[in-house]
Order: sequence, then C-alpha cells, then structure tokens
Amino acid sequence: MSSQISLGKVLESRELLYTLLLLAVILPILHPIGIPIEISARTRDVYNYIEQNLKPGCHVFVEVYYEVAARGELEPNLIALTKHLFDKGCKIVYSSLSAFGVVAFSLFKANAADLFANKEYGRDYVYFGYIAGGEAASASLAKSIKGTISVDNYGNRLEDLPLMKEVDKATDFDLVIIVSSGTDVFAYYVRQWHTPYGAPLLFVALSVIAPSVEPFVGAKQAIGMLVGQRAGAEYEVLVGRLGLGIASMDAQSTSHMLILAFIAVGNVVYWTKRLSSKRGGSR
Amino acid sequence: MIDWEVFGAWLCAALVVWIYSFAYRDNVLYKLAEHMFLGAAAGYSIALALDSLNRVLIRPAITTPQTFWATSWHYIIPAVLGLLMLAKYSRKYYWLARYAVAVNIAVGTGLALRTVPIANIVRQITATILPLWGSDPVKTLNNWIMVLVTLGGLTYFLFTIFPRRVEGVPPSPTYWVYRALYYIGVYGMMVGFGALFANTIMTRVGFLISIYLIYLQPQAWASIAAAVLAAIAIILGALRKK
Repeated sequence: MSSQISLGKVLESRELLYTLLLLAVILPILHPIGIPIEISARTRDVYNYIEQNLKPGCHVFVEVYYEVAARGELEPNLIALTKHLFDKGCKIVYSSLSAFGVVAFSLFKANAADLFANKEYGRDYVYFGYIAGGEAASASLAKSIKGTISVDNYGNRLEDLPLMKEVDKATDFDLVIIVSSGTDVFAYYVRQWHTPYGAPLLFVALSVIAPSVEPFVGAKQAIGMLVGQRAGAEYEVLVGRLGLGIASMDAQSTSHMLILAFIAVGNVVYWTKRLSSKRGGSR
Repeated sequence: MIDWEVFGAWLCAALVVWIYSFAYRDNVLYKLAEHMFLGAAAGYSIALALDSLNRVLIRPAITTPQTFWATSWHYIIPAVLGLLMLAKYSRKYYWLARYAVAVNIAVGTGLALRTVPIANIVRQITATILPLWGSDPVKTLNNWIMVLVTLGGLTYFLFTIFPRRVEGVPPSPTYWVYRALYYIGVYGMMVGFGALFANTIMTRVGFLISIYLIYLQPQAWASIAAAVLAAIAIILGALRKK
C-alpha cells in the first residue's frame, strides 16, 4: 500500500516532468534524430518579400530589443536575416531602444563574425547602441536620426559615417525589422514609423509574444512576422546557413511530444477521477 | 595564471544550473545566483544609462562645445528633467520631481495619441471587415470565424445593455442572438488562451534548449559539478528543515 502511495506521489511530482523534459532536450542534442522540418508559408512569404522588393544598395533598419535569455529564440532569425540582407547587397542600420540590446548585439555580432568579415563598419552597417526614451525616442528617430543622436555606440560622429549620409529618417529605409522579446516596442514602431511614414515593418517575435502582435500583421501594418526558434530554423534552411535554430529543432519536437503526452495523461487521470467520484456520489 | 574567459564561462554555466535548480526546490545556490543576477542587471542598466548620457550629452558638450551649443543644446532640457526625477529622494524638494513626471507623461501621451486612433483602432476594425462570400472556401470559413469571434468577444464584454430572459415569457430572437454570440466569444477566447499557453511552452522550452546549447554543453564538466552542488544544497536544505 505504502509503495503504491509513493509511486503515485512520484508520478504526480513536478520534478519527474522537469527531469523528463531535461532528458527530452539533452538526448536529441547529443544524438540528433534529424526530424525533417517544413518551411511554413509565413516564413517563405517573408523570404520572398525580401527577394522581390529589396535591391542592391537598399537600406534596412533593425531594432535589436531582446535580452540574453531570449537569444536562442531570436538570434537565429537575426543572423539568417542579416545573411539574407547582406547577400542582397543591403546596408543595415542597427539600433537598440533597450539597454540589454547592446549585449544582445555584441553576442550576435560575435556569433555571426563570418557575415561581418567582409563588411566595412560605417559603410555597410552601423550600430547606434542604446538610445534611451522608449516610444518618444522611436518617434524622434523616425523624424530624424541625426537630430536624435549625434554619435554611434562606439563614439563615432554620425556625420562622419558614409552610410549615415544616405539615411536619416523613416522614409529612407526600404524595410524596418523589429527583433524583440517584448510587446510594446512593436506597437512603438507601428505607431511612430508605419502609421505616419508608411515604413514597411517586419516583426521577429518570441512565440509567446506572437499572438499579442498578430493583429498588427493581420491588419497589414507589418509585411510579415517570424515567430521564435522554429522560424529561425526555417530561415536558416532558406538562406543556407545552418546554426542554432536548426540544431534546436529535434529537441523542440521531442520536448513538445513529451508535453503533449503529459497533457493527454493528465486529462485521462482528471476525467477518470471525476467520473469515478460522480459514480461514488450517486451510490 | 587564471584565464578569466574560461572562469567566466564556468561561472556562467554554474549560475544557469543554479537558477534552474529552483524547479526542483529552493536552495542557497539558487538564491546566490538570483541575487547576483539582479545586482549585475541593475548595475549594468545604470552603467549603460550613464554611458548613453555621456555619449550623447556630456562628452560632446565638453569636447566640441561650439558644435554642441549650435546643434544639440536642447539635450539640456531632458537632462534637467532627468535630474529633477532624483528630487523624489528629498523630503523638502520632492515636489520638483512632479514636473519631470508630468512632462514625461504629457510627451508620451501626446506622441501616442497622435497615431493610436488610426494604428490601434481604425486599422484593427477595418481588418475585421471581410468578405463573407467568395470562391475560396477555406478563406471564406476563416473570414466567418474572424468576424463571428470578434463580434462574440465584444458581446461577452457588454456590461451595460444585454437582453434578459423573463420568467414565464418566451425569449426574444435578440436574446438568442446575444446568447449565441456570447458563447462564440467565450469559446473563441478559450481557443486564443490555449494558443497563447502553447506558445508560452514553446518559448520556455526554446529558452531551455538554447541555454543548454550555448552555455551548458560547451562547459559540460562545470555544469555537472554545479548540478551536483545544487543537489547537495537541496538535500542539506531539506535535512535542516526536518
């Protein structure tokens, strides 16, 4: 009897689920299964948009607004998009309205060193660093970058950078990409860049954030959205630079299967208990 | 000679393991990692904010005063307002902080209101005005679901006027329409919350996978040692409670 109780306690304990989840994550990474992934229509639409609309020499603004914890979900997207944009001959302006964006950018750049190897800072890409002010700063950048800040993240004067002679306001950019782990910043760019100036926006969001910003995509206020690690893996396949996104897919699949199994078992146990208690009550 | 880069990577792996050890039980190593994280995050944010102030205002004002006063003198205004915020810590001059807060809120509200009606209301409403008849059956079905769930969700949150059922009197057609939309709204929201929950799981699992790939796997021995230490801390903590 006591052994039955202890077994039941073990099965009900959350520690068991955490341990199994940990194993479901670690084992497929140590021994990859190679579960195939399909490119979703949403990711392909974003890829096609960039292929068809961005010409060599075009300008893209990228907001890096995520903390280190969200790196695994968002960085694969940022790296794959950067590769695609550089391959298309675009020039990129990076910026961060979040203090932690500076760390995220430095880690991203270190992780994608091969993409920046043949690119010249100031001519092919620029990083503004952290700009304080939230939505007000976003509105000010849309109106005039040089009127908002005078130096970049490394202390260079913006007027000395060749790329900054080509762009200054929202309408100078052919695409604005927001890579964010929060919800608010998407709304900032919709309100301050898209609505008054018609800047085409592309969202790169965490899976948990995606439903909150989906209405903007549905209302065509953004050209599309890449959601989480899965979209990162798909985009890595599309641009031919496999990385963290694709490496995570086996572990994602096995851990989701485990959680689905636990949800099914939980429901069976719940309904069994409920039905048996109802029968007991009627007796 | 200590290789600080290796030491940093080990410390990083150990702190990650100790933070996740909370999933099993609260322990002293989790608390250590938590306090270190909060302290480092707060310190880092302050340092970055000061660096931003230095880059944008202080250094240009000192090194190139003529250019600064000609083109960027207006940066002084937010700097003064920012300093006024610190008046909160004075019992005598705390009221000065209200000016900074008032300007901050006024600017934020003004900027947002400029575009909120179009971006967050008009465009969202027009996005739900969809054709309910068409040649593509899947698209038509999607449009019906979108329109009905939107109307249902709005109906659910009607708190002022709604048709009631009177005892002994057969309910009016308005009542049945209201009830149908009410339940469509309830189930629509439940599906929405379900999708949100599933996405939450996906994100958390994604974090775990990437943290394992980036920090733990490359420092496997440091991670295992940290996990053993966390297990000892949990057991000792449990024994002390007994």
